[in-house]
Amino acid sequence: MIDWAAFALVATVSLVGATLLVGFASLGIRLLGGESPHSFGVRAGAIASFSVCVIGVAFGVYLLVPTFN
Amino acid sequence: MSESWAVDAPLMVTLVIALALFFDFTNGFHDTANSMATPIATGALKPKVAVSIAAVLNLVGAFLSTEVARTISGGLIREGNGGIQITPQMIFAGLIGAIVWNLATWLFGLPSSSSHALFGGLVGAVIVGAGFGAINPTVLVDKIVLPALLAPLIACSVAFLATKLALAITSGPNAQQNRARFRYGQTFTASLVSLAHGTNDAQKTMGIVTLTLIAAGFQASGSGPAFWVIAVCALAIALGTYVGGWRIIRTLGTGITQITPAQGFAAEAATSAAILASSHLGFALSTTQVASGSVIGAGLGWNRSSVRWRVAGRIAMAWLITLPTAAVVAAVAELVARLGFWGVVVDVCAVTGVSIAMFARSRRHRVDAASVAPGTRDVAAPMRDAASIGASSHRARRPQSAARGTVRTR
Repeated sequence: MIDWAAFALVATVSLVGATLLVGFASLGIRLLGGESPHSFGVRAGAIASFSVCVIGVAFGVYLLVPTFN
Repeated sequence: MSESWAVDAPLMVTLVIALALFFDFTNGFHDTANSMATPIATGALKPKVAVSIAAVLNLVGAFLSTEVARTISGGLIREGNGGIQITPQMIFAGLIGAIVWNLATWLFGLPSSSSHALFGGLVGAVIVGAGFGAINPTVLVDKIVLPALLAPLIACSVAFLATKLALAITSGPNAQQNRARFRYGQTFTASLVSLAHGTNDAQKTMGIVTLTLIAAGFQASGSGPAFWVIAVCALAIALGTYVGGWRIIRTLGTGITQITPAQGFAAEAATSAAILASSHLGFALSTTQVASGSVIGAGLGWNRSSVRWRVAGRIAMAWLITLPTAAVVAAVAELVARLGFWGVVVDVCAVTGVSIAMFARSRRHRVDAASVAPGTRDVAAPMRDAASIGASSHRARRPQSAARGTVRTR
């Protein structure tokens, strides 16, 4: 029998992972390309957003390399 | 037929290793598109740079992860105790089926799963060698047929929502310039997909070579792949990746829909998330089917009419017939191989001849790094691939000035 629970889990995790990555990248891009890209708060927000993305990709690499697991 | 006509074990093992490495190579160039079609299409990476990154990450990935499967078919065939023994000759015939299918789909520019082709080939060879009873039909449905429907569905939905999200957040003033910045992100997501591919796909060939060596008594039962096996498998898949299946890259990057940086980033994020989730949460999905589904989802997220359903339909049709076609080719190869030494010779000549013929066909209608670079897009070309085979006068590459007019400017 097909494991529908595993399927639902994979679908949910894929959706959450992808939307988090895309959401934060978009947010960073929006902040940098907005009205006042040079203000401290906006820059800090953009850097924080991109940092979340970098951590996300790094976590992906961590999952892929068996010696880390 | 007398025993003296049978192929001796060392020769058969050598043939299996040679074919397995060639299969590994086709696996590499078939799947370059999964990670690199979208960054190439948006200009995030130059074509040659993209395939170089993908090749290096496949090489690294293959060395990182060398845990090979304990069975060749993953339960699809009743192997081992209480089941049948898959002989090197069946693997030999199965590989022929998989290679022929991989080359044929490449010629038509169709992304299709190399794993499914390999399973199909093994199934065909085993049915001829040991009968239908050796096949586990429920595993076939649960591990191949249903995931083939679900993988593109998940990827398409996730990429659709991710694209909508990216476009919503970045809407407003300067939207177009801002969205071009997704190109920088594409390099990272595409590289992640490449690394995932490397840690996953080279193991298939390592497993086959190792299990063949064990079956022939050259290696202790239960032992892992030897270093030389890991090295040659890693090199074969990396070389294949570097050669780049430009036809498939074109189909995925510009054939299904014209990808923009925001869509490309969303599609790759969806592909990476789905592949990582599937490999860690115990529901195996095909990378190719996930990547294709993501591209369709990204197209739908932008504009429903931007997806060329004829191209998508042809790809879906190819997925449907992957397993049976590879099985039939492998079954014929196994039937011929059972004739003995000369049967095996005929098989080897046939697969070599078919490969050369397909390569020669591809030269008539060349698709290379130059034809997939942005600015030289021939967006209608994937639709014509099948039709133009046989029409030798047709040239794919149009003058740059003519092709520029077809690039979407939104």
